Amino acid sequence: MNRPHLRSLVVLGRLAGRNLRRNPTRTGLTMGMVTVGVALLVIGQSWIDGMMGEMLRTATDAAGHVRLVDPGYARREALAPLDKNLRDVQELANRLRKVSGVVEVVPRITTGVTVSTGEEIGDLFAQVIGAPESYLRVRLGLSQRLVAGRWLGTAADDLVMGAKVAEQAGARVGDEVLLLGVTQDGAMSPLKGRLVGIVKGPSASVDQQIFLPLERVQWLTDMPGGATELLVYGAAYQDGVRLAEQLRRDPVSKGLDVSAWSDREPWISMTRTVDAERMILLLIVGFLTAIGIWNTVVTSVLERTHEIGVLRALGLSAAGAVALFVIESLAVGLVGGVCGALLGAWPAWLLQEHGIHLGAGVADKVSMPMAETVYGLLSVEILVTAFLLGLVITLLGSFIPALRAARILPVVAMRSGR
Amino acid sequence: MSLSRLVFLLTILAIGLPTAAWADLAPPPPGKAPPRATGPEPTTAPPPTADELLAAVDRNLTFPSRTSRTRMTVVGSGRTREYEMTGFGRGEEDAAVEYLAPAREKGTRMLKLGAELWIYMPSVDRVQKISGHMLRQGMMGSDVSYEDMMTSRELRKQYRSKVLGDGVVEGRACWRLEMVATNNAVTYPKREVCIDKDHFIPLEQKLYALSGMLLKVWTMSDVRSYDGGRKFPHRMVIRDQLRKGSETRIDTVELKFGVALPAEVFSLRWLERK
Repeated sequence: MNRPHLRSLVVLGRLAGRNLRRNPTRTGLTMGMVTVGVALLVIGQSWIDGMMGEMLRTATDAAGHVRLVDPGYARREALAPLDKNLRDVQELANRLRKVSGVVEVVPRITTGVTVSTGEEIGDLFAQVIGAPESYLRVRLGLSQRLVAGRWLGTAADDLVMGAKVAEQAGARVGDEVLLLGVTQDGAMSPLKGRLVGIVKGPSASVDQQIFLPLERVQWLTDMPGGATELLVYGAAYQDGVRLAEQLRRDPVSKGLDVSAWSDREPWISMTRTVDAERMILLLIVGFLTAIGIWNTVVTSVLERTHEIGVLRALGLSAAGAVALFVIESLAVGLVGGVCGALLGAWPAWLLQEHGIHLGAGVADKVSMPMAETVYGLLSVEILVTAFLLGLVITLLGSFIPALRAARILPVVAMRSGR
Repeated sequence: MSLSRLVFLLTILAIGLPTAAWADLAPPPPGKAPPRATGPEPTTAPPPTADELLAAVDRNLTFPSRTSRTRMTVVGSGRTREYEMTGFGRGEEDAAVEYLAPAREKGTRMLKLGAELWIYMPSVDRVQKISGHMLRQGMMGSDVSYEDMMTSRELRKQYRSKVLGDGVVEGRACWRLEMVATNNAVTYPKREVCIDKDHFIPLEQKLYALSGMLLKVWTMSDVRSYDGGRKFPHRMVIRDQLRKGSETRIDTVELKFGVALPAEVFSLRWLERK
């Protein structure tokens, strides 16, 4: 930038500062609008990120960061076709564990059964999850969610049941439970077990499931050594897409369908919903803030028509007139943005530390894993993003009135006497 | 060539050509059948009525009592399984089956009395009752349903039929019939059947749903003779058209008709006996 331009900017900056001080109430109101807007963005964003982050972490713990299945299974996933299974999953899992970035590999079988506790075989349907005990205990965290009885022990017939299934089946801890499922070929297959524990999950789906060690479900489905899915875990769920790409390139997954959690339903829809929520929040807050700023800057332009006419007559260019108002708004945006980020950080921090207790009623109605208390997530990224968005909204709100100032003709303005 | 010779040749040609053409269309002289490229000779006798055909089929396939030992091979999309079982049949609706192999299914018993079916599962020592639409599920994941396997209803009572003409299935001449169920409760509302002209066994049946969708193709072969002129197929192959690549073969190893059945077989006590 050459010296005359720099000098002009300094002059415009001084003028802008003077104008801001000239009407402190209006300046304060405008800053207040930016402050409130940015604060709302910080709170809203941290709430969404906290809630979704927790949901995604819990959900991907259950569903795996990456999943490997038979392509036929992926095509007809809604039907959970048992005949499209992976054979000798232990060997495949061992090979997968050697791939860089893979932290854990879990074979899993999901199938439907009818559940009964008495002599009569009933018509209560439930979903059975068969997986290694460590997956059920650590990844699903079920041992922490016992509401009755104990966790799976060493007895061969131990089974754990979701609270809703147990209630519907009238099953109590210690009862003998009969599960009637099908083999991978579609033949009727019964399995008897002893209910040792009842769990209440972080989502409604867990309450409708029955949990058994993998070997027992392999027997139920007549899938010796097999599983329908192999769940692969990296260091964090955010690694899913990268890990899936890496596994697709690796010969170990040849002929298998490899998908990151974010490539599958319901996550695709969920991510879209979250993005839409963010956009709606931004549009509402941004629109209201921009309208407020536009209003005060228009008022300022109208009040200062005569003054702008004089400045234009003294040689201020049209671009200079625009710059005068933009610099004023920039100053308002900077101060308001910082104040807003600080103001929003406090409730966001409270959300992060203490959360909001939604109660079991809400969590029960959601099929996704959702805790009864939802916590926010405050990060520097959220603060910086909200501050920058506040700045952009302020500039956008002031730009149109500034263009109006630029179009003022000096002669007309001086005659107007305002 | 003289003119008289030319006239003679033209006269011969004029008479000979239409005669040769007519010879292709005219019926062959008695005792001389026209040569056929493939397939059996057509029957010259008037076709039997649909009712007569179905009566003959019912005489072969229905029975007051029977015992059997069968081997069922289920070819799935991923693997092939073999089951061995003994069976008892009484009339159209009652049947009992006990699985002898494989080890996983050994001791499993099924009892069908009328429209209800009970399955005893030895691994959990429990009896499961099945009725209604569940009877139409594949037995042991095969292409043949519990109802298909454990019912021997007379076709004549259930269908209104008409003879469509001749057919050939695996080199055997048969009568083609179209059968439409007289009520909607029948499992297969429409059938297209080809009935062996000699044995009166449905060599091929196409079984349709009410919507017209082809559900199963059922073939019968290896027909053997029994007392009283009864014929019975020792091999049946069923292909469920809704299960790609699936096929179930049922081979009869032993079969006796008109035997005295142990009374306890058709009781729930038999299911749970140790």
